[in-house]
Parts: sequence; C-alpha cells; structure tokens
Amino acid sequence: MTTETTPRTSPEIGGMGHSVKRKEDPRFIRGAGEYIDDLVLPGMLWLDIVRSPYAHATIKGIDASEALKIPGVLAVITGADLEKAGLHWMPTLAGDKQMVLPTTTVMYQSQEVAAVVATSRYIAADGVAAVLVDYEPLPVIVDPHKALEPGAMVLRPDRAADKQTNRIWHWESGDAAKTDAALAAADVRVSEDIYIPRIHVASIETCGCIADWDAVRGQMTLHMTSQAPHAIRTVLALVSGLPEQNIRVKTHDMGGGFGGKVPVYPGYVLAVVASLTVGKPVKWIEDRSENLQADSFARDYHIHAELGATKAGKITSLKVKTIADHGYTDAAADPSKFPAGLFNVITGSYDFDNAFVEVDGVYTNKPPGGVAYRCSFRVTEAVHAIERMVDILAHDIGKDPAQLRMENFIQPEQFPYKTPTGWEYDSGNYGVALQKAMDMIGYDDLRKEQAAKRAKGELMGIGISSFTEIVGAGPSHDFDIIGLKMFDSCEIRVHPTGKVLARIGVQTTGQGHETTFAQIIAEELGFPVGDIKIEYGDTDTAPYGLGTYASRSTPVAGAATAMAARKIRDKARKLAAHLLEASEEDLEWEPGKFSVKGSPDRFKTIQEIAFAAYTNHPAGMEAGLEAVDYYDPPNLTFPFGSYICVVDIDKGTGQVHIRRFVAVDDCGNIINPMIVDGQIHGGLTMGLAPSLYEAITYDELGNNLAGTFMDYLVPTAVETPAWETGKTITPSPHHPLGAKGVGESATVGAPPAIANAVVDALWHLGVRNVDIPMTPQKIWAILHEKGIS
Amino acid sequence: MHFEGSVPIRASRERVWAFVTDPDQVGQCGPGVEKIEVMDPTHFKATAKVGIGFISARFVVNMEFAEQQPPDRALIKAHGQAPGSAVDATAEMRLSDGADGTTVMDWNADVNIAGTLASVGARLIEGTANKMIGKTFDCMRTKLEA
Repeated sequence: MTTETTPRTSPEIGGMGHSVKRKEDPRFIRGAGEYIDDLVLPGMLWLDIVRSPYAHATIKGIDASEALKIPGVLAVITGADLEKAGLHWMPTLAGDKQMVLPTTTVMYQSQEVAAVVATSRYIAADGVAAVLVDYEPLPVIVDPHKALEPGAMVLRPDRAADKQTNRIWHWESGDAAKTDAALAAADVRVSEDIYIPRIHVASIETCGCIADWDAVRGQMTLHMTSQAPHAIRTVLALVSGLPEQNIRVKTHDMGGGFGGKVPVYPGYVLAVVASLTVGKPVKWIEDRSENLQADSFARDYHIHAELGATKAGKITSLKVKTIADHGYTDAAADPSKFPAGLFNVITGSYDFDNAFVEVDGVYTNKPPGGVAYRCSFRVTEAVHAIERMVDILAHDIGKDPAQLRMENFIQPEQFPYKTPTGWEYDSGNYGVALQKAMDMIGYDDLRKEQAAKRAKGELMGIGISSFTEIVGAGPSHDFDIIGLKMFDSCEIRVHPTGKVLARIGVQTTGQGHETTFAQIIAEELGFPVGDIKIEYGDTDTAPYGLGTYASRSTPVAGAATAMAARKIRDKARKLAAHLLEASEEDLEWEPGKFSVKGSPDRFKTIQEIAFAAYTNHPAGMEAGLEAVDYYDPPNLTFPFGSYICVVDIDKGTGQVHIRRFVAVDDCGNIINPMIVDGQIHGGLTMGLAPSLYEAITYDELGNNLAGTFMDYLVPTAVETPAWETGKTITPSPHHPLGAKGVGESATVGAPPAIANAVVDALWHLGVRNVDIPMTPQKIWAILHEKGIS
Repeated sequence: MHFEGSVPIRASRERVWAFVTDPDQVGQCGPGVEKIEVMDPTHFKATAKVGIGFISARFVVNMEFAEQQPPDRALIKAHGQAPGSAVDATAEMRLSDGADGTTVMDWNADVNIAGTLASVGARLIEGTANKMIGKTFDCMRTKLEA
C-alpha cells in the first residue's frame, strides 16, 4: 500500500496519475455543451403530460375536447389509446410492470394520465391545462408498515392470485439460525431503528428525449437522457418490434445522472408512440417539479438492526430486518438476482462470522423507483446502518469509536475475505486509512476539546465512518439487467497519423470520461492524451455496453479499454519487430515506443508503428491497428475509506455546523487525481445533502411535500464545508489497472460520519439515534425535550 | 385538514338560514368566486380563483347540499378541480339561538387538497385557508347584520 501516485508516463503523454485538465470542460465552460433541450429538429412537435393531483383515484373519464380546440394542439393520448396497441403497461427493469398511462386507476400523485402533442411547448402546456379528467378519490396508503397490516387494501390487484398482498417480494441473505444463536450468546446486544428517507437525485438536467421516426427509411432515432443507451435500444426493439439495426439511441451531453437516468419513464415511451403515430420528431422534457415528483426516487429503507458483541467490544453478529418502500411498482434498477441490491454488504469493514439480512419490498401510493442514487445498489443504506450500529455499540460499552473499529476491522492479511453474506472482498487496508484520517484531523486533541466543551455545556461531536463499498457490477455469472450480462466494452481505432479514436460502452453524465479513458489509452500505448478522442452514447457507433452507474465505468469499461489497448500493443509489437527487423522477444516496451534490448537507439515510436500498419504491414498480417474488448470482470471491486466529521450544535436553534470533515479514500490506482478529488468533493456534498437537508416527504393524502427546490433543499456552496481529502492506495488485485471506481464512495461514506458526529454530540443527553436529515427543527425538538436551550 | 369555529351573527335564525342556503347570496362572500351556477335546489357549481403564495389556480367546484334540516343544520359536500390540483371537502353547519336575538353558527369542515397546490403550497395552505374562512364570515356578517 502506498499513498502517492507516481506516473509511469511523462506529462506530455499524460497517462495514469497525471491531473490532466478535462477535455470536455472548454465546451461546458463556454456554454457550448449540447443537451436535449438545446436540440431542435426540423418539424419537431412537443409533448407535455397531464398528471394526477390524486395519489390514488379511479379515472371515470377523460374529456380532451377543450384541449383539442386549442390551435396547435394536435393530439391527446390516453391510456385507452395505448391499450389498443397493448402499450398501456410496460415492464420495469426489476421484473414488475408499470403503467405508461392508466386506463382505470392512478396510483400516485403526479402520475402520468394523458399526453398532449402540440406545435410548441407552451401550446402543449395549455393543452394539458385544458384536459378534463374526472377522478373519484380512493383511500391512500403512504406508510409501508400500514401496507403490510392484515386486511390492508391491496394496491396491485392486477398481480397473480397468490400475490394479492402489498408485499412485493421477500429477500434474505446469510444464516438466520447461526446469527440468532450468536446474538443469544452475545454479552452485549444493541438494536436500533434507522430510517433512510426517500430522496431524489435532483440532477441539474431533468429527463427528456426526442423521438424521431422516419417512416420512409423505417428508422427510429431516439435522442435521450439515458445512462444505459444500449439497453434502451434492445428493450425498444423487443417491445416495439422495430428491427434493432433501425433503432439508434443517442445520448448527448448530460447534466447529471446519479442513477435517475437509468429507468425508462413513461414520457420516453409516449414520445416514441407520438412520433411513430405522427411521423415527426416529438420532444418531451420534464420541468423541475415533474422531475422531483414523478421520477424514480432513491433510498426509503426502514431498517431494524441488531448487533451482538463481546464485553470487550468484539462484534460477533448482525441481524437486519428492512422494509423497502418501492411505491406502486418495483421499478428499481437493480441487477436481476438482487431485488435489494447489494444491501447484504452491510457487514461492512468488520470481521465477524454471523449475519442475517432480510428485506421486504412493499407497495405504497408513491412514485416508483429505488434507483441507486450515486450508490452501487443500496450500498448507502447498508453502510449507514452498519456505521451507525458500530458507533452505538462503542458508545454503549464506553469504548472510543475509533478504537472499536480498529479492533474489529478485517486485517490486511485476511484478504481475499469472504463475508458472512457471501461476498469476497478482494483487498483492503482499513486500519491505515482510519489512522491517516485520525492523524489529519488531530483526533486525540479533538476528543480532549470535546470533553472540555461538554463540561461547559457546549455540544460538540466527532463522527467516524469507515466504509467498504462494493462496485463495478459485474461478473456475468451473477449480474444481469433484464437478462443482459453486465460486461462492458471499448473499441480503439488508431489512425495512420498516430491519432486515436476510441468508443466505449459506458457514457458520461459529467464524470470526465473523455479525459480519463484517454488517459488509460495513453498509459497503455503512449499516445499523448491530446491525440486521443473518446466517443460514447451513440448506439450506432459505440460497442455494446450496459452503461454508467454503480461506479462501474472504470472497473468494467476502464478494464475493457486497457485490455483493448493491450491487444493493440501486441499487434504493435509485431509491427515493430517487422520494422526493426528484430524478433518480438528482443523488443522492450516503454510508453510510446518499442526498442531493441541493449540498443536503445534502435526504436520505433507508436506513431511510426501506426503509420506502418496502413502503409508497410508485413505479408500475412492484416492491415490496420484496431481492437475491441468486451470485459467480464472476475469480481466486483471494493473501494473503502475512513471519514471523520466534527460538528458543533447550536443549542438555541438546533443547527448543526460542520466544523471539519476529513475524507481519506482508497480507490486503488488513480487515473486522474484531480478528477478523483472532484468526484470526492461532489460526492461529499451529495452525502451532506440527505444528512442535513434533503428528504421527500408525503402528507397523509400522498401529496409530495418536496416538489420544488423551495422545499427540497439542495445544498449550495454556502452550506458546504471545506472538505479535506487524503488517499491511501490499495490496488484491486484483479483489475487490469488496479483501479476500483470512486464515483460513489463519498456519497455512501459521508452521511453516517455526519450522523455519528451529531449523535456523539448528544449521546450524554440520552440520545441514541437521530435519523437523517438532521434538520434544525429535529435537533431543536430533541434539545427542547431534554431541557436544553 | 380540519377546520372549525363558532360565529355569532346579529340576525334571526331564519334570515341566516335563508342566506347561507342560497348559493347566489352566500356565493358572493366566497373569496375569489367569479361565477355561481345553480343546477338544481341542492346542486350548484362555483368557479373561483384561489391563490396560495405565488401559485394560483382557477377551480371549478361542484357543491351539493347533502343534508338540510332547516333552520338547524346543513351538510355540504364539495369536489373541485383545477389543472394539476383537486379539492374535496365536507362541511357541516349548525345554527342555534344565541343571546340577545343573535344566531350562533357552529361549523366544521374537513378539507383534502391534492396535487400541485398541496405539494407546492403545503406550508401556506393552513394560513391561507384560515384567512379565506375569516373573510367569508366577515362578509356574511356584514351582509346579514346590515
């Protein structure tokens, strides 16, 4: 393990370890990016959606006559229209089904009820306001616990006779009997209810598309905001019957994905149906409130956890029971075998033998979803729970939380480590990361300061989170989405003049792929990073891939890129041997050239070799210098880190002030340190968000009470503390570059550090848990109850 | 949301009853009411512009006198819709004799607001509703006590 990145290539080449400036930024900074809303096609029409004010109601009738009288309104599409084509329901990625438009019943507030197609966005909106829908309100179930009560109204009577319940599925992992026995034998048991509230990715760009059907050519082009364009193409081919070669899905610049642009939303389908019907391009784009109210949510896990330990604080067992509120349909984007995602990584960074995890998915009258919001499939929920539980245990037995963690960590020599729920962690060095974070923040002095402040009645807390992530889905034996295995790909073409075009199966929503993937090729082949162009997101040109989410770009497509580059290097070696009249074995590679062993002045640069591939290739060898690789990872990757947060709480207002926050991350070998730091800064801010500010709540009628940025508080620079970052480097042993993925670590790791700090500040008052978001109102109410003011 | 209150009005019970059960008269006291259409003696339709904070919507509200026991008690049911929003309400009114020839109106209402207005205006709804109710009764008293 090291903590420094030493590049192998020169700054001119700009391979791994160089903080190369982002190639995409000039167009973003100059306002020259191209987003869906910027795109206007000749003859384009607009689609806008009529949405339900009720969270549960019968539709008695839809009267579109007034809307159709508005000049410029061309059509109003209803569920009855779609039913004729069998398109009123669509499958979800999780194997459930979802309404495109309802025919009889609406299931959540803001659900799509009808679509208006018009000649402008404004006229479409006027048309939406003029559609009269006659609703008969029905009782509403907002609380998933009530949905599970005996006799509760069944929300999805369309399901099979043996599934007439609001329990969607039951999933479990680990050994129940062994865990119960270990818990019964434990000296110390701590249990807690922890709620991870529903939140929203709130990307700066909302979802949208332009469906462009060319009836003459039989060609459907779908410009859309999608994190997985190839999967969309295949699903569209299967559902519509259009030949897959005549479907082109194209993503453009995207203002954030964070999991929210993985699912298929009814708006996309409606635009496709409208374009197929009228033979013109049709654009649908959400407004902000539609995005916040109707798009897939994240989290919404009601967790009950119980931890067993010895008197000395050695953890022996963990039992977890969770209710997952999925809204009216399970539209989560988890891999098929994992209805609760990778939630059973909940044993975290700790070495113990007994764990049992069960999750029940439940229907309620809320929007569907369960997207992995900047977290690899429910890892945020798992990490929050275990890190909170470990902290409660430490406080209960009076041991320093850092010390308790150190004593329970899986040790470096134990890797590869098999967890009691079946994962095999490939690598880790947890104690070093925590010690580094403690040194950076001055942990011991802070504890002394806290004791002094507490004596004076001041509220200061220190919170730790030592998380282990599980990312890079995934190995094909376990991971697929709707049957599509979760490999990923890269195709590299080296042009005669030594310039490179590479296309990747993942795409970017702002992560900087145009830079980092070029750096991987620069690292492997020695072409200067500026000579390498990266393309993605166009299914007509990019090789098939499963898309960008779950921190899988670097672990899977990054590996494919390295492997494709190595295929090119292998051919380049043959070409160099031909040009140098030497045997392949006598050649030495350094980034950018092959030279003859012992004769360093006899060499051919990679550019000379590229030219020769088209002008002077040896007899019997194919011309050209291209390669493609489809990479099926042998295992997932396991980034980790230790975060420490210091908070001061205002006794008068309940406001939590984050004084310092140190984040030590280990994402293995680093491709671009600047981009990694950027990912961590952004991720920490997105971890701060649900800790203190963001939550989507509903009133008892199912009205979304956070439907605008007035009520859904996204932190800005004003609320964000000065993050302090550090690194340790433990390469993944199975990844070709030793990289692990970093996009989600900070979002996953930050909330429990902040929650642990707040509870640490309040523990002496008898506070064991505070659910996020820890708003001033919530903290003030606790302080008020405890007689503190 | 539940609202209730008790309002003394210096007018006879018959006069109050006649006023509150006549859509054309009582309708004029509803804040933002633009139009009242009487469908039959127990059903009428009101068009009203309602604003909460920076949002406003024009509601078409169908109302029904579900029960009437003149001059003591009436039960009104209402269902209204505006683009993206809906309101469903049940209101009960009881009249009794107060001191000095006044009539006391005890009333309560359960109001459910759904959609954009509830979602976006949630924090302002109760205050706005109380203000609107206050205005309505002030108007009724002014007219009845004149």
